[in-house]
Amino acid sequence: MPLLLLLPCLIWISFFFLAPLAAMCWRSIASEGFSLEPYAVLFTSPLYTKVILTTVKTASIATVGALVLAYPLAYVLTTASRRLRALILVCVLVPYWVDIIVRSFSWLILLGDNGLINKMLMRLGVIAAPLALLYTAASVLVAMIQILLPLATIVLFGAMLRIDRTLLAAAKIHGASEWQAFRTIFLPLSLPGVYGAGLLVFVLALGFYVTPALLGSPRETMIAQTIMVEASQLLDWSQASAAGAVLLLITTAIAALYNRYFSLDRLWGGTDK
Amino acid sequence: MSITWIPGSRRRGGFEIRAYMGKIALGASVLAIIVYLIFPVIVVLAISFSAGNFLTFPPSGLSSRWYLAIARDPEWVSALEVSLQVGSLSATIACLLGVPAAFALVRYVIPAKALLSALILCALITPPIVTAISTYLFFVPLGLNNTVLGLACAHAVSGTPFVVINTAASLRSADRNLERAAIIHGAHPLWAVLHITLPIIAPGIVIGAILAFVHSVHELLVASFVLGGVGKPVAVKIWSGVQATSDPTIAAASAILIGLAVLTFASAAATQSLARRRSA
Repeated sequence: MPLLLLLPCLIWISFFFLAPLAAMCWRSIASEGFSLEPYAVLFTSPLYTKVILTTVKTASIATVGALVLAYPLAYVLTTASRRLRALILVCVLVPYWVDIIVRSFSWLILLGDNGLINKMLMRLGVIAAPLALLYTAASVLVAMIQILLPLATIVLFGAMLRIDRTLLAAAKIHGASEWQAFRTIFLPLSLPGVYGAGLLVFVLALGFYVTPALLGSPRETMIAQTIMVEASQLLDWSQASAAGAVLLLITTAIAALYNRYFSLDRLWGGTDK
Repeated sequence: MSITWIPGSRRRGGFEIRAYMGKIALGASVLAIIVYLIFPVIVVLAISFSAGNFLTFPPSGLSSRWYLAIARDPEWVSALEVSLQVGSLSATIACLLGVPAAFALVRYVIPAKALLSALILCALITPPIVTAISTYLFFVPLGLNNTVLGLACAHAVSGTPFVVINTAASLRSADRNLERAAIIHGAHPLWAVLHITLPIIAPGIVIGAILAFVHSVHELLVASFVLGGVGKPVAVKIWSGVQATSDPTIAAASAILIGLAVLTFASAAATQSLARRRSA
């Protein structure tokens, strides 16, 4: 019976998700006869080395940034009154429901030479000429962090809700200050949640396409953009497939790590590991 | 919190002040973070009502001309239509696949359950560019590229986890005894599920379907590979427009998507509160 219920879903996923991935991996090694050349190019060409490094660097900074901002937000969510919590949740969720293209686009308007940020700085007399804010690593990161923040906050909030608040009360009864109770009890207990949220956000950050393409210069090119160019402009499908296969391998490995320690099940409120 | 008695609190007046200052600092930083989150959304909304020809914020005067421009442009209208078709078709497929799967995952002991649920969730964390090129390569021999059906089938994969997550959550909190009572009184188990349990968990399914729909409408990369030529969906149309920005039409199109998102979000919240009131 359970098999019968799961079967349609599994067949669909196998056919429309796993089979295409297998087709991509196959294409990466077999186009005109077998060859591992695309992989050799991937690991030896300076272009790919640079893009992969940029991707990992950008995704790491964005992940840390999102976590640092999400932490106080999630903390306040756990302590806030019902009303305040609902209000903050709406503020966190509404951007989550807004398209990534739209959110990146809005940063394009804000950070441009005639954008609000430059105009304000010039009116305040801080700068004389507009700063080149766009098409830099900073503009990509500012937008990426804003895009990843809602998810980081929600995952962290879920993890923090599981922390037993009576432990904090116990610490305070024994004379700890608010800060001491937070630092010695709440913070260590919340760290597993931070790591979990970090892995999840990092995996998503690795695959970003729209934001670096719109707000970055060629120097900020991330791997998804390179794959896009290989496939749609250079029509080098074996190279694109090889890069895709490597990206898939990395994300699957991180997802497996996440599953091992935090259990993907938890995302739908299943049993904790 | 101020009425809790803390031993020796009087001697540690400094702590109290520091705790108070800490609270203010926390509140201020949270406010700043929320502004950072919300502000870009407000900017796009404001610019979409701009009267000027350029993308500037704050906008120079108000008008609805860019919305009219979209409504009059057959390309934008057809893009919205295609997105609605793909979105609703993929959300429907996701429900048909996801609801039974949620029943199996919640109610039965299955070997390798963790692996199965990880497999269902996998589509959400696979980089979209990987899904895009692999789907395109796979669809070439099947002739599914450049079809609404093909894109809907592909989007259904990433829509299913939303349905499974929300249905499973509702199913877990639903009182199974109601179904048992019906069966004890002679109802067929399937009848009991369809007429007792399904209406109870309906809000969860609806929220999952809405999320799957929104996900499909927003999805860019698979859409631009599978349906990037003629009859492209609205996300692809916006993306090609955004890369050659000149006027606020894009902002208006984005605002329509935001409006759609807020509307669906509000209806999801309303469904949820309605369900809570009914169960209370």
